[in-house]
Amino acid sequence: MIALLGPEIAWYLGVSAFLFAVGALGVLLRRNPLIVLLSLEIMLNGANLALIAFSRHHGRGDGQIFALAVMAVAASEVVVGLGLVVAMNRKRITLDVDRMNVLRG
Amino acid sequence: MVAGAWICLLAPLVGALLVTAGANALPRRGAAYLVTLSVLVAFGGALTSFVALLGRDADDREHVSTAWTWITGGSYRSGLEVLIDPLSVMMMLIVSGVGFLIVAYSIGYMDGDREERRYFAYMGLFVFSMLLLVQGGNLILLLAGWGMVGLSSYLLIGFWHERPRSIAAAKKAFVMNAVGDATMALALFLVIQRTGTLAFGALGDVQGSWAVNLVALGLLGGAVAKSAQLPLQTWLPDAMEGPTPVSALIHAATMVTAGVYLIVRTHVIFEAAPKVQDLAAGLGAATLLVAGLIALVQVDVKRVIAYSTMSQIGYMFLAVGVGEYANGMFHLMTHAFFKALLFMAAGIVIHALAAEQDIRKMGGLKQLMPRVYWAFLIGALALVGIPPFAGFFSKDPIIASALARSDGYGYVLWVIALVGAFLTGVYTFRMLFLVFLGEPSAFVREHFHALKRDVVGVSMGATVAVLALLSVIGGWLQFSPFWEPVDTWLETVAEPLVNPSGWQEAISSILAVALGLAGIGVAWVLYGAKRRAVPRSAFWQRTLEHKFYFDELYDAAFYRPAVWMARALGRFVEQPLIAGSAREVGDETRDLGGVLARLQTGLLRTYALAIASALAVLAVVFVVVK
Repeated sequence: MIALLGPEIAWYLGVSAFLFAVGALGVLLRRNPLIVLLSLEIMLNGANLALIAFSRHHGRGDGQIFALAVMAVAASEVVVGLGLVVAMNRKRITLDVDRMNVLRG
Repeated sequence: MVAGAWICLLAPLVGALLVTAGANALPRRGAAYLVTLSVLVAFGGALTSFVALLGRDADDREHVSTAWTWITGGSYRSGLEVLIDPLSVMMMLIVSGVGFLIVAYSIGYMDGDREERRYFAYMGLFVFSMLLLVQGGNLILLLAGWGMVGLSSYLLIGFWHERPRSIAAAKKAFVMNAVGDATMALALFLVIQRTGTLAFGALGDVQGSWAVNLVALGLLGGAVAKSAQLPLQTWLPDAMEGPTPVSALIHAATMVTAGVYLIVRTHVIFEAAPKVQDLAAGLGAATLLVAGLIALVQVDVKRVIAYSTMSQIGYMFLAVGVGEYANGMFHLMTHAFFKALLFMAAGIVIHALAAEQDIRKMGGLKQLMPRVYWAFLIGALALVGIPPFAGFFSKDPIIASALARSDGYGYVLWVIALVGAFLTGVYTFRMLFLVFLGEPSAFVREHFHALKRDVVGVSMGATVAVLALLSVIGGWLQFSPFWEPVDTWLETVAEPLVNPSGWQEAISSILAVALGLAGIGVAWVLYGAKRRAVPRSAFWQRTLEHKFYFDELYDAAFYRPAVWMARALGRFVEQPLIAGSAREVGDETRDLGGVLARLQTGLLRTYALAIASALAVLAVVFVVVK
């Protein structure tokens, strides 16, 4: 029955890991906060894919519910994050995470 | 009866609290009238209790009224209770009655002072504390009143807080009294340990001669400190730095009489420890002699009166020490009258001379203020014990009671008491002659201004007149051995141990009066006729002016070692050890913080990298461990 519904779980996990790695590299390497936020979304989506894949694999619904919760959180986070980016832009702060280092100890 | 006692206790407290709460909303005179009224109400309460007690049988005159349980701990229990018996009612009448006159006098004396309201609030508190002391129904309440009296006296002696000497005097009084409070508290601990309670009755149950002697000694220590007897007497003359009515209150109605009251109240334990009771009599005799001698050379009018108080309290200690309790209390009462009179008459003089207290600058005031002169003369005659003034009736039986002991110790005490009577005549009339007789000095002519007939003059004049009247008639209350209502009144509380016979009374009276008159004569020859303020003998003058070097002795024995030790500890313990280790800990913490702070780069990408690499490491670890 599982075979009829699509490929093995390993494939899904492979795609999920790839997405996560792409997102993580984006967070680590890019300096524009807008792009960093985008990369974060990609990481979250990678994680969501893994959750749903396991949910299907075990035939239980809780993973999907968890994925829905992650999406809600991700949406809220984007609202706040984009708001901050817009605010920074309006204050004419250079949009570069390497130059926002006021919290240096 | 019970209501009267509670009203008597609480009225001055209410007055003081109202003045405190009213603060600046209250007019200055309003505060004065309020507290005066509250003390008058207290006197009314005391009177109703007195009348109610008079109506009862002699055996039925002891009553304890408990408001609620105040302290409980294990099997120990103390109530907030007042004791109404002949002794406490007598003290209530003296404290609130004389206290009322003194507070009323303050209306005039303190008029125009910048902090009048604070003064009157303190006065109310002082009267309340003393009433708590004499009305407290158990030893712990007595101790509470005892401590509060010390606090109020500290506040009032240091009332003029902008004068460094007042502050020093207030601190001295407080510390000296704290010594007595401590010994008294230790005695009470011992009583609790032995009997498990602090009711007055428990004192009779203390077993074992060591415990009895220690408890009696501790209580005597408290009495000696509060009543300014040797060796804890040095605070009293310095306490003259406070306003004059405060001196009158401390000397006449409250505070220094507390020691006498304490010994009478706890006489059971003193009778069980006869050596300590003899010690009390001996200390009283020593004090009356020493204080009389020192008073001979003092030049501050208030200090002369202060030393006369020490001397008179010495007589009272002598009386209660030989077991003549009723006469000690009777002398306490008459002394309250004439000592308040002397202080307040002196206060009028000081007031009229722009706050000058040095008797060498005074003179000739009889011509300028004849009525004050007569009042002062009455007080002085009462103090010396010349009939028919109050002191004669109360002091001479005390001298006789020393004789009635009929042993060597008693004879020594008797002789000392008679010498004291002579000294009293000399120093009292030295002061009187120097202040009032002769021609007005240049200083007096320049500074004198008479009292006016306004509130100030009336409040000061009228109260002095009442006290002068009391000093004349107050003594007739008891004329032993002919009629003795005070003895009968106090018999149920404290049975006297000695009973002087008629010839002992007679010979003591004749000798004491003769010696007092001789003292007055000597004072006249030395100071009235020649007007020389201090004797010429250098050694005696120096010794007496230094008050037998008690202050210097305490300075060398306690103060200097304490300072020396504190300096040594500061140098060798605090600086290297305590301050050093604190500084070390602080430095180390700051260094460590500096290292950790470098981890906070403020760069978002470093944090993200740290998280990612940590995750990677964890993943590897999990895989490997699995």
